Amino acid sequence: MSAALEFEGIHKSFGENQALADASFTAAWGEVHALLGENGAGKSTLMNIASGLYTPDNGVVKVAGKAVVIDGPQAASALGIGMIHQHFKLVENMTVLENLMLGHGKGGWRRSLQTLRQDISKISEQIGFEIDPDARVDTLSVSEQQRTEIIKVLMGGAEILILDEPTAVLTDEESIRLLTQLRLFAERGKCVVLITHKLREVFSHADAVTVMRGGKTVDAGRSPDSMTPEQLSHLMVGEAKEFKRTDYAPPGETALELVNVQAERDNGVVALENFNLQLRAGQVYGLAGVGGNGQTELAEILMGIRAMDEGKFILAGQNLNKPSPRSLRQRGLTCVPAERYLYGLAGDLSVMDNCVITHFSGGRFGSAAWVNRRAILREAAQAIEEHNIQGAAPGTRARLLSGGNAQKLVLSRELAGQANVLLAHSPTRGLDVRACAAMHTAIRDASRRGTAVLLLSEDLDEIFAVSDRIGVINRGRVVGEFDAPANRREIGHLMVAHA
Amino acid sequence: MNGLRAISLEFIRRRRLAIEVRQHIGLARHLAVILAALCFGLGISIAILVGRGVDIDSIYEEFVVFTFFNAAGISAVVVESIPLVLVGLGAAMAFRVNFWNIGIEGQMFMGAIGASIIALFNIGPDFLRLPLMLLFSVLFGMLWALGPAILKVRLNVNEIISTLLLNYIAYYFVLNQLFGPWKDPRDKFPHGEQYELSERLPEIGWEQVHYGIVVAAIAVVLVWWAVDRSRFGITSRFVGVNPRMALAVGLPVSVITAGSALASGGLAGSAGFVIAAATEYRLTFTMAAGYGFSGIVIAFLAGNRPIPTLIVAFLMGSLYVAGESMKIFYSLPDALVGLIQAIIVLSVIASEFFVRYRLRLAHFGSA
Repeated sequence: MSAALEFEGIHKSFGENQALADASFTAAWGEVHALLGENGAGKSTLMNIASGLYTPDNGVVKVAGKAVVIDGPQAASALGIGMIHQHFKLVENMTVLENLMLGHGKGGWRRSLQTLRQDISKISEQIGFEIDPDARVDTLSVSEQQRTEIIKVLMGGAEILILDEPTAVLTDEESIRLLTQLRLFAERGKCVVLITHKLREVFSHADAVTVMRGGKTVDAGRSPDSMTPEQLSHLMVGEAKEFKRTDYAPPGETALELVNVQAERDNGVVALENFNLQLRAGQVYGLAGVGGNGQTELAEILMGIRAMDEGKFILAGQNLNKPSPRSLRQRGLTCVPAERYLYGLAGDLSVMDNCVITHFSGGRFGSAAWVNRRAILREAAQAIEEHNIQGAAPGTRARLLSGGNAQKLVLSRELAGQANVLLAHSPTRGLDVRACAAMHTAIRDASRRGTAVLLLSEDLDEIFAVSDRIGVINRGRVVGEFDAPANRREIGHLMVAHA
Repeated sequence: MNGLRAISLEFIRRRRLAIEVRQHIGLARHLAVILAALCFGLGISIAILVGRGVDIDSIYEEFVVFTFFNAAGISAVVVESIPLVLVGLGAAMAFRVNFWNIGIEGQMFMGAIGASIIALFNIGPDFLRLPLMLLFSVLFGMLWALGPAILKVRLNVNEIISTLLLNYIAYYFVLNQLFGPWKDPRDKFPHGEQYELSERLPEIGWEQVHYGIVVAAIAVVLVWWAVDRSRFGITSRFVGVNPRMALAVGLPVSVITAGSALASGGLAGSAGFVIAAATEYRLTFTMAAGYGFSGIVIAFLAGNRPIPTLIVAFLMGSLYVAGESMKIFYSLPDALVGLIQAIIVLSVIASEFFVRYRLRLAHFGSA
């Protein structure tokens, strides 16, 4: 098989931070090539060079054996390179068709709409996607949006398809389907580069795997069949991770209770229906479920930013009527939201400010009239140290932190002080193995100190790793509850069953 | 020869100018970018002036020397800058929490009306007259911002529209008063009765600089304290940068937004007071003209921060003074002066691009 995409000796720095140091990579036509590595290993940076978002400081990029200059996304597209980013680049309030029209419209408006429609159905058929071209993007599920992105890239004539952690946002079933379709695409002589940190995907769907660590390529292009999962994870993190659990916490006092909650989505569709939930002090309650079954609305209700239509919200024995975020905070409810930069952090402010913003009321950081900046600085430095937040100085802008470290910052703030209830919504989405483990340890430590934790997650591994009690949410209801350790297959079935 | 050409071609092929997002910019580089933009704007302005037949030596002589290197010039700049500092701070206070206060001129008028009420009706003893006028101007300015603030936080009414329209109401109210009950009884002109001596801000004793400079200095310190040292400052930063997050973590977003809007109105009101009590010595219907937009531009250029606001206001003041001398020395039309001021301001605003992005020569091909 001849090489499709090659990198040789790539160096790339952002200021003083060297993201890539002598990275190399070779993917051949006809294969699904997994690019494996922790957060910050340089996988995305390397592939962003292929897609023209970054230019390398040094090194050679070759496409189909020829050295090329990729000085922008258009150049990448002209070379047949298409990349699906973690954050989709779609216009939400427009239809699929209109989105695809951006960049691919030819001829007059009407004619191009016609031909586009045909092209979409042709491509959809080829790779086995179904998509309604007239659906508005914001009504689509995440996996449908992802398909739209893939179709968009394929319509641009992409032969080399790069996907940045495409399954991070998908359920098990959707992931398998996507990976199968990608295999079919590769088998037609194209090339697929799969950025991931899920070992399972590498073994089930990749022909070759390249492992990166700390901006370097540590193992290039071997077939995963010749390796064991332990070898791979060792290459990735440099140390083997392992855990077994036996310590499940007994239930404590009821800390938070939702009774018969009814809520609607923004578009009027029922999100939660007769929803009941009980959180006990000292326990982690893992609520498993496929995304879009009411978790987002549940989290918003618990944060106080969405009103329930009906039902009771009982916190520490008190029935709250339309609680504001402020009153919930004052009663000791804290939250690690799914979207860090939406509800968790102000990206353009410093780590230091983000670290203490919810902790002013006690007077620890000065009075209302005069803020004690030294105390804030000390607190931030301590949080950075204690939670091992890398790449952060107290004055660093929060946006410059990598995903895992930003999440650690949110968690350190939310766990400082005694929280009665902690809501953790997909807390490890997009995090690498080590950051995940740190997050899980921190969550369990909090529950051992008496906090009632609600973990909303689509990742069953995560649910099993930290939960003392497990519930399953499906179509806005809790359809099953179990004490851990529970039967994984049963829970998986409840998650996807159409109740 | 051939070899050389091959090398240079190779060089061109392998290096191209690329635009990249900057992750961080240092203070020195930031200042250098702004300075370069200023020079760029000044360069174009000089070219325009030379094109109009102005002698290039005298540009330096009468512009720079007259404006900055002589007491009359620099004091004129200071006087010009005082209300600009106040409106700049006013705009900054509102903008930093995303409250787009376009109503600065209306709030200035209200401030001047508040001051005039004290002055016209001789409220309070003489020695308290000026402090009372200042207090009333601030309160009246706040009052004019109160409606839009409440509408915004309670009903989510767009403050751009509400503050903008309130400008007209304030303006026509001033006209109504000046053509009606408050018409100057002495000369029957449509401006207010002249303030008595105890109602005028005295001069500090250096050229024509008046005690408005103290008002502006106090305002700078207060705003610096509020945004940089008080708890309100930190929390309001979050409201400005990520309002949804601020709400979700339980910050009092409505209170902070409304409070900032009121502070903005109060500062604008105090600018009205300074102009009425130190420059015009009366209420006039032209006193606020243009200050609203100047305030917006100053706040933008200063990144809504108090100390840079002081500096930018001073630079804007010198642009105005230099513009005046241009008009006098070269009888240049008003439009040309405005054009030059706009070119310089636009150059600085456009330089923001180079703060966010960097251009660099990218290497391609083998090392």
